[in-house]
Amino acid sequence: MSLVVLNAADVAGRGTKTVAVTVGSAGWFNARMTPFLKEVAIPIRREITAVFAREWSRLATAGSYWSGLQRIEIAAAARQARAGSSAGASALPPAATEAASLLGATPARASRSWVESMVADLGSGPYVEIVGVVSRAAAVDTFHRAIGSPLPRLPEPIVGDPTGIHDPAARSGPAWVPMVGGASIVGALSAVPPEAEAQEDMHGPLYLTYEQMQNLEFVRGLSRPQMELVAARTSALNECFY
Amino acid sequence: MLRASSETTGEALDARAITDPSIDPLVDGGRHLIGFVDAVLGGGDVEDSRASLGGALGSDAVVDASGTIANFEMMNRIAEGTGMPVGKGSLVRTEEWRSLIGLDRYRHV
Repeated sequence: MSLVVLNAADVAGRGTKTVAVTVGSAGWFNARMTPFLKEVAIPIRREITAVFAREWSRLATAGSYWSGLQRIEIAAAARQARAGSSAGASALPPAATEAASLLGATPARASRSWVESMVADLGSGPYVEIVGVVSRAAAVDTFHRAIGSPLPRLPEPIVGDPTGIHDPAARSGPAWVPMVGGASIVGALSAVPPEAEAQEDMHGPLYLTYEQMQNLEFVRGLSRPQMELVAARTSALNECFY
Repeated sequence: MLRASSETTGEALDARAITDPSIDPLVDGGRHLIGFVDAVLGGGDVEDSRASLGGALGSDAVVDASGTIANFEMMNRIAEGTGMPVGKGSLVRTEEWRSLIGLDRYRHV
């Protein structure tokens, strides 16, 4: 076990305070000084804790269309909906709160007409950003529940204006929101590139990188058939054909 | 991916377990894995099912299973929220499986 020092901006995305974290053999990460994975009795791969830290930093920082505060309020509304309670007071437009709540708790209820109404109210880019924020926050929370840790507190917002970054090549197609290069799950958020990049960033540490997915004999803690059984059952419980 | 990985590795699989947890999926530790997913997403006793899974397959398996559930919580929301279509080719290739496990009960574009 050894001590390393990180800049807190890497961990929580704010400030410059340095914190010490313990790193064990084989790259295991004991994140006692971060909000993640408290009270966990089994070793967690360092890349998982690290990607959660990156995600919380992204969550706190202005995105393409929403400020850091708004992104946190979107994640909070989704978390409250999953817990079965109504969203608390926020400065979000009502449609943003509705989108966060439905996608957070009951995503299978998202119909074409509902998405079209959200896009009409919010714009396709802001809606796509909500999909990204909510989906990744759900992943972070779900991992904590599964592994037996309290949910991490949401980060404090970082002041800053939305960047407006989007891909003008995104086009309407068979999916319900514009995408770049045709409809695919990898490119689902491609109209807002930072959201697509964040999706890929989470995908690898939690499951497999897009390259590793091609290796059907990949083995880590689980074999591929075991992992895919878990994936398929998860999708079934979510009533998701995907 | 499940069908392809099962065929590639030669690991036995009864895919009906995906939608019917009373069926043994035949995959090594499969019942523990299904029970863990159900507990995490269905509000069951996660602690017991985690201990059961860890006892059967080890702590690294618990981490991988937790990560896979989390990842597909993300991907399912992205697919549902963007109206991700399923290609005609995929529908043709998976017709037999979809029938076997009743997958068509779920909406697809």
